[in-house]
Amino acid sequence: MNYMPQQPPEIAGRPAVSREVLNVRGLSAGYGPMRVIHDLDLVVNAGERVGIVGLNGHGKSTLFYGIAGLTGWQRGSIRLNGVEVGRTRSQGPGRYTHEIVRAGLALIPQGDEIFHGLTVEEHLDSGAFTPRAWRERATRKQRILKIFPPLKKLMNVPVGRLSGGERRMVSIGRGLMADASLFLVDEPSLGLAPKIGRSVIEALMGVELGDSAMVIAEQNVALLEGRVDRILGMHAGQLKGEASAAALAIHDYGRG
Amino acid sequence: MEIWFVISNAIVLACIYGTLAIGVSITWSSLGLLNLAYGFIFAFAGFGAWVVSQQVSAWGPVLLATGILTGALGGVVVCALAFIPIHDKPNFTIRGLIGTLAINLLGTQGLLWWFGPRAKTLPGIFGDWKISMSGMVLSADKIGNVLTSILMLVVVLRWMQGSRRGLEIRAMMMNPHAAAIVGIGVRRTSFYVMAITGGLAGLAAVLLSQTYYISPFGGLTPMIKGVSIALCGGLGSVRGAVIAAMVLGLNESLTTVTIGGQYVLITQFVFIIAILLVRPRGIAGILDKAREA
Repeated sequence: MNYMPQQPPEIAGRPAVSREVLNVRGLSAGYGPMRVIHDLDLVVNAGERVGIVGLNGHGKSTLFYGIAGLTGWQRGSIRLNGVEVGRTRSQGPGRYTHEIVRAGLALIPQGDEIFHGLTVEEHLDSGAFTPRAWRERATRKQRILKIFPPLKKLMNVPVGRLSGGERRMVSIGRGLMADASLFLVDEPSLGLAPKIGRSVIEALMGVELGDSAMVIAEQNVALLEGRVDRILGMHAGQLKGEASAAALAIHDYGRG
Repeated sequence: MEIWFVISNAIVLACIYGTLAIGVSITWSSLGLLNLAYGFIFAFAGFGAWVVSQQVSAWGPVLLATGILTGALGGVVVCALAFIPIHDKPNFTIRGLIGTLAINLLGTQGLLWWFGPRAKTLPGIFGDWKISMSGMVLSADKIGNVLTSILMLVVVLRWMQGSRRGLEIRAMMMNPHAAAIVGIGVRRTSFYVMAITGGLAGLAAVLLSQTYYISPFGGLTPMIKGVSIALCGGLGSVRGAVIAAMVLGLNESLTTVTIGGQYVLITQFVFIIAILLVRPRGIAGILDKAREA
């Protein structure tokens, strides 16, 4: 196993010296007696968009939940911006999640983990719970509305009355409100009509990352092909191989 | 039977029970804790106000403030003892129920041991003036009870609508899992929730002491009524709790003047069972326009 920090290849228009946003070493995680993630290593650098593809039940969501401290138990090292946020523990999912969020994580969960009675505006506010994000929430909301213009006239509508696509926009917008250096996006196109799913992915690609990074888990590899910096395959709780999007397209990896 | 007497009594009871029920409702939906120590917090706040009235000042606003503050303190203590140690353990709902019930029993026995079995009375808070309007006589404590509890509820609800902590609490009421994802710390928020609901119980204790005595076990009936009104309104819904409190307050005062005060709990529970048979989610089930997540 290579413990040296990995430097990514130089890409035009991007600083050559890149910083590690996320460094996961030997992570195992699961729920109760079930072990879903097995000794997983993952490094994500600043400014990078990484795709993780894999079938249902192979641990994509559990990896994200493990990083956020939401699994039943976990073991291993998770360094977020150089700060150790991983713990070896066996109970209390979510107990330390707010500290990890403060350290710079924004998790955009699978499905609609929304607050059905809050309005769209309150919902966006609720994504900005770190002190700096809270102060800047007005300008940030404008930025979100630029990414998702349909939300503009829905600002005072309870989220429980929105359609599936609108809810997904709210859910992603909530994640983007945060002061995060790492965005974990879990199956953004799940359950949406293909056209709406594509537009959601387009919106995610349009987000300026700056010094932060984004990891997108997706079942539909075609949606990510050629749009992310690299694609990893998730299989049986481990990341298998690290290939470019082009290579994946040739081997048709991740389609079953 | 005088119709205005029934209605004014109904409104007074609705305000006080509504205050308690909203506390129960908020605690249940945000923390998943059915706080059975509410009766103890209620009695604790009553005794706190009584001690201050004996030792410091018997001025009305001081007593109200003391009731609210001791209630909030009681809430924080219950939170530290019965929520923080077990909230992320398996079977929390049942454990929380047993834990708060234990605190209730221990606490009320402690009050009995410390203050003795004799019931205490608080001095009148609102004076003893009266207003008569078109044949209706309103006494000072009726008006005072209604105004103070409405004021307190408006302040609490405005705070929950407008502030960042209030948003945290409402988010937790709707989806605790998503609340953790956006970075709301359950433990810290739980202290706010318990302090506020404890404060509401403390206010209700001081207001009810204008009609009843303060005794170690005096919190039991208000707690049962608060929990049942919260159930009837739909746990988690503030509007539902307010409407249920008005309906059940009317029921209570009507029962008292028609068939007698000893039947109040019977008619109340028959009424609640009837509502829950038709609307299992309580009155909130009729009000809610948003779909559940």
